[in-house]
Amino acid sequence: MTEHLVNVVMSGVFHAAILFLVAAGLQVVFGVQKIFNLACGSFYALGAYTGVSAVGWYASTGGPPGLFLLPLALGGLLVGIVGLPVERGLLRFVYDRDETFQLLMTFALVLMMEDLIRMTWGTAPRSTAGYYLTYGQARLLGAAVPVYNLVVIAASLIIAAGLGWLLTRTAFGRIMRATADNREMAEALGVDMRRVYAKVFTLGTALGTLGGALVIPATAAMSEMGIELIVEAFAVVVIGGLGSMRGAVVGALVVGVLRSVAISVYPELEMLLIYLIVIAVLIFRPRGLFGAAAV
Amino acid sequence: MRQSGSATRGVVLAAVLLSIALLPLLAPTYYVLLMLPFMALAVVLLGVNLLFGYTGLVSFGHALFIGVGAYAGAFLTVHTTVRSLEVMLLAAAALGAAVAALVGALCVRYVKIYFGMLTLAFGMVFYTFLLKFYRLTGGDEGMRVLRPSLLGQSLDAMPKTDYLAGPYYYYSLAVLVIAAFVMWRVVRSPFGLCLRTIRDNPAKAESLGVSVTRYRWYAFVISGVFGAVGGALLGPPTGNVDPTLAYWTSSGNLVFMVLLGGFANFFGPVLGAFVFIFLQDRVMSTFPYWRLVFGAILAFIVIFAPAGLMGLLSRRRPAEVFRA
Amino acid sequence: MILEARDVTKFYGGFRALAGVSLSVKDGEFVSIIGPNGAGKSTLINVLTGALRPSAGTVRFKERDIGGIGPAALARLGMARSFQLVQIFPDLTVLETLQAAVVSRLGRGTRLFASLAGDREVQAGALEVAELFGLADKRHAPARQLPQGDKKLLDVASAFALRPEIILLDEPTSGVSTADKTAIMEILVAASKRVGLRAIIQVEHDMDIVFGYSDRIIALHQGKVLADATPAAIEADQRVVDMVVGRRRAPHPDPLPRGERAG
Repeated sequence: MTEHLVNVVMSGVFHAAILFLVAAGLQVVFGVQKIFNLACGSFYALGAYTGVSAVGWYASTGGPPGLFLLPLALGGLLVGIVGLPVERGLLRFVYDRDETFQLLMTFALVLMMEDLIRMTWGTAPRSTAGYYLTYGQARLLGAAVPVYNLVVIAASLIIAAGLGWLLTRTAFGRIMRATADNREMAEALGVDMRRVYAKVFTLGTALGTLGGALVIPATAAMSEMGIELIVEAFAVVVIGGLGSMRGAVVGALVVGVLRSVAISVYPELEMLLIYLIVIAVLIFRPRGLFGAAAV
Repeated sequence: MRQSGSATRGVVLAAVLLSIALLPLLAPTYYVLLMLPFMALAVVLLGVNLLFGYTGLVSFGHALFIGVGAYAGAFLTVHTTVRSLEVMLLAAAALGAAVAALVGALCVRYVKIYFGMLTLAFGMVFYTFLLKFYRLTGGDEGMRVLRPSLLGQSLDAMPKTDYLAGPYYYYSLAVLVIAAFVMWRVVRSPFGLCLRTIRDNPAKAESLGVSVTRYRWYAFVISGVFGAVGGALLGPPTGNVDPTLAYWTSSGNLVFMVLLGGFANFFGPVLGAFVFIFLQDRVMSTFPYWRLVFGAILAFIVIFAPAGLMGLLSRRRPAEVFRA
Repeated sequence: MILEARDVTKFYGGFRALAGVSLSVKDGEFVSIIGPNGAGKSTLINVLTGALRPSAGTVRFKERDIGGIGPAALARLGMARSFQLVQIFPDLTVLETLQAAVVSRLGRGTRLFASLAGDREVQAGALEVAELFGLADKRHAPARQLPQGDKKLLDVASAFALRPEIILLDEPTSGVSTADKTAIMEILVAASKRVGLRAIIQVEHDMDIVFGYSDRIIALHQGKVLADATPAAIEADQRVVDMVVGRRRAPHPDPLPRGERAG
């Protein structure tokens, strides 16, 4: 019994760790640029497929299996650089437009990326067959938990801490927070919005692609994964509060664990429960747990 | 000036209607059949634009109503003895109104991004319901739709293509024309004017005595009815309805179509549906990656032509395109 | 007594914007509310027009408690307002803006299938107000294309088109050139006679306008009523003069001898 519970909870926390990365990417972009990036799921998918390719290449070099995490994580992180041309080449044209048009631009991105990924990697699912249990399994209260999961959870925590440090202890983080609070004032104080936006969006993208890469050993990269994830990421930021990093952590845990519990109890429920919670949050506390007061 | 403007418009409209009516006699069956989803979606989009262009609300969950209407129709043909398309459409309208009344009551208190998110969430709730409760809905395979009888005539004996390119085609056209007429009256009514005040400046509208939330709700319910009726029309041609009809990307495509055609014009959404359906068909037959093309088109429209095709055609600013 | 506020207090969190404000407006009065920035004038207007619920105290309109009933309900009861930062419907024409107000007045907002263009009462009502305010020749212009002064006029005209019993004008002449100010006020006074307005309340900074048109002036300072009296009495009230009234340029058409003026 405990074994089962531990499995459910740990798989939920693992999923939460991944969700946090994507949601954090969503949050920084929304917080600073006030744009809800529907394409964050697409970047997640991009990271996943890139991760598969990176590991595939690594496997062909015959390196020690234990180090597969390096090409995986690096591949996922580096491909995040596509955020820069996307921001400079497309997104910046709609900064002065109504939110609706900004949202639609990110939807255009979703469409384009879906096919670009298909063009590059095809439609069949891709996986990193066999690497998942490279690090073996740990015994936790009688349950066998893949060590890989624990590694990812730890990595996610470190990144969360890193983001926290970035936001509170660095000059750039201060600029980010100032812009999030009051863009006009920040600009008046001499902040170069173009560069801030470019950096922030790239950061957001990289977080998403990294999340996608890290999930790969546990599942397969599939063509629908991007548009499916966005609704989960969206649930995370609604529950946690738009623009809040703490919200991303808590929201990710809520969504990740609840989903895991729901699946194990009553599979039909799964996302249904999450959506109902999202609706409830939007109605009773639109700003979520940690969001800004004004709705 | 205005008189000649509306006269030209009348002539163009008559010509278009005539072409559509004559199409089954002139064009290859393939294209005639492609007109069916176009007409169904055009009905849906008339409702979507009541919210978007006239009231200023962007719903990212409108495919919910397509799903409601489509499954209502399918359910009736499969699980009851009802085969009449009239009953199917009426049931879809009633169910659409009921769902819209409930969902709308919760959503219209919020604006902009929160409205978009709430509607997206509701759309996905319905999608998940359709997908997971397979005993009721058929799950990811969906539900069959048996051939409906039109105006009391059971046409089961007809070959499928003859039925679809013939009686069903003209029935759909009639539904579209009626729907367009009704919507035309609505947007030219005092109610339509109130919606536009809400779109332009809700605070000012409120100060003039317009209960903004209540009127948004009315608009939402009406658009839900149109969405469901259009959805019911989508089922019979393929003979099957499935959950993807209600997926969030389907809702996104609806908004895309409205933007493509032009949200500031009454006929824009209809044009948008037409271009989307036919362009998708053309692109898919030569190049499997239609989403890439369409994504690029959407990006282009958002940046360079936010008033859509009607905006480009009339070369007037959105505000003026609304006039006459 | 058409409009009455009793001991109205309003807190924003810990900040007290209004403290025990009481005032009343009777039939036929033109009341001006004056005060420096931050005195609470906007808050008072928002409370009086039902947009804000008072933290304490009551506001009664035609003997009815209207605390926080909302602008739409209040408009239907007979109170209209114009805005400090001009509020228009950018994509609607002048005529359509006025039509919207008339539609609301006649309660025809829920007519879904009736033709707006064919509704003669609405068309005539809107045209009448357009003519009253001198906007008739621009009636087909989209509101966003109007010059600032006309936008202001439209904002006020649409409130008038409701044929309210009382109207609150929030700085009706702000952002308007000095030459236009009097023109606007004259239009306002003429229009109010035509539509049968029972009282006007305005928030104004321009003292010439205030002294030229008011029956009564209420001076607000730090959320409290400092003085509530006729223009002559206000002018003589040193506290008000010190805190609120600056140097006036034009002589007040009042035969009382000028004594020493505070600068």
